[in-house]
Amino acid sequence: MLNGLNVEGSTPLHRMSVRTKLAILLVLGVALYFVSSLFVLVPAFVLAVGIYFTTGLPVRDGLSRLKPILFTIVILLIATAYLASIREATEAFFRLMALVLFAGAVTATTATGDFIDEITRLLQPLDRLGLVRAADVGLAFGLVLRFVPDIFNHYQAIREAHRARGLKVRPLTILAPLIILTLKDADTIAMAIDARGFRRPRTDRNK
Amino acid sequence: MDIRFSGASVSFGARTVLQPLTLMLTERRIGIIGLNGSGKTTFARLINGLVKPTTGTVSVNGLDTVRDEGAVLAAAGFIFQNPQHQIIMPIVHEDIAFGLKNRGLKTDEIERRSAAVLARFGIAHLAKRRVHELSGGETQLVAISSVVVTGPGILILDEPTNQLDLKNRRLIENTIAGLDEHAIVISHDLPLIERFERVLWFHDGKLVGDGPAPETIRAYREAAEC
Ligand SMILES: Nc1ncnc2c1ncn2[C@@H]1O[C@H](COP(=O)(O)OP(=O)(O)O)[C@@H](O)[C@H]1O
Ligand SMILES: [Mg+2]
Repeated sequence: MLNGLNVEGSTPLHRMSVRTKLAILLVLGVALYFVSSLFVLVPAFVLAVGIYFTTGLPVRDGLSRLKPILFTIVILLIATAYLASIREATEAFFRLMALVLFAGAVTATTATGDFIDEITRLLQPLDRLGLVRAADVGLAFGLVLRFVPDIFNHYQAIREAHRARGLKVRPLTILAPLIILTLKDADTIAMAIDARGFRRPRTDRNK
Repeated sequence: MDIRFSGASVSFGARTVLQPLTLMLTERRIGIIGLNGSGKTTFARLINGLVKPTTGTVSVNGLDTVRDEGAVLAAAGFIFQNPQHQIIMPIVHEDIAFGLKNRGLKTDEIERRSAAVLARFGIAHLAKRRVHELSGGETQLVAISSVVVTGPGILILDEPTNQLDLKNRRLIENTIAGLDEHAIVISHDLPLIERFERVLWFHDGKLVGDGPAPETIRAYREAAEC
């Protein structure tokens, strides 16, 4: 499951600043996009596997985190193989997997709070221009990490309830209650964010 | 603590869920009882301005919940019926720090206060845990800690023992009994509030009982049984 959270440790990646890690990830992402030679992509993939599994993430946990994204990649590959060529699908596989593993390694070695702080800091210039509220974007990242496991738990509970009632588990019949549950939660969570003082005294309302 | 309701009522659309109410709350421990849907949560949310009165006004220590919204939120902390909903950050210590960061405190001050509150509620060992992996009682303690850490003088707790087993219920009961803050507690768990100085009883959006805990609870019990 994409718990997307970090493991404690003191590997070089753990010690690197969040900004450096994000910059390297960005450069790698762009660079790998332009490379199509398997002589580069395969070693990049092997390196990524090596880094990912030396972050201190238990192997089981590491593998299960990859499952959801792997599913998406496989669908993408089948489409690529069908619409383009098997060769291109192979390239895409190593490119995407390398990136996913590098990104996974960054996630596994970065505390969420640091991540959010860095995003908020990086967006400060845009905040000053009035384009975004940096703190809001930071909070949004935190909320995703916080609530994805909850949504997944809802999903499993609903699926079990389906099974218990002898209903076929179909995406559509699961999606409806899942969305309703999630939206109901979202209302209260929004109120809780207010209650905990995130939005600070409003001067633009209640004129 | 000085909470005043002056003709405050709440309607959602055409439906009035809380009839106009004028009263003053000053006691250290106040309980709120009533059947499901009787308006308890709405009443409690009026106090810290999460719900605004449709008519009338509500004030906390002289601050109006509409005009001085931010100050009221800081003065009265709210612990939601489902603590899962108010824990916003993925790791316990990050969530405790959340409210302090929003107030612009420095990192070392945040750490000092977080450590103090975790120790006060006996959950220092949970600091690095992921919040979605906590037990019910632990989640409730984290929710209370993350509100208490910002230093509100008043705590409003909405059915804090509702989803807990007997052992955790006792734990939360003792925690509430030991709070230095003023506490307003909604509860179906009558032993939790039986020693409170004052209990309010709501029925169908109306305040139908208001007095010392033993009297109000007795009247409530009698009404529920026939
Ligand atoms: N945001 C809302 N919109 C519409 N109706 C609401 C809203 N919040 C509460 N109500 C209604 O107000 C009544 C009182 O609710 P509530 O205060 O939550 O009761 P209690 O906490 O005593 O169970 C209920 O009938 C509920 O459906
Ligand atoms: Mg309620």
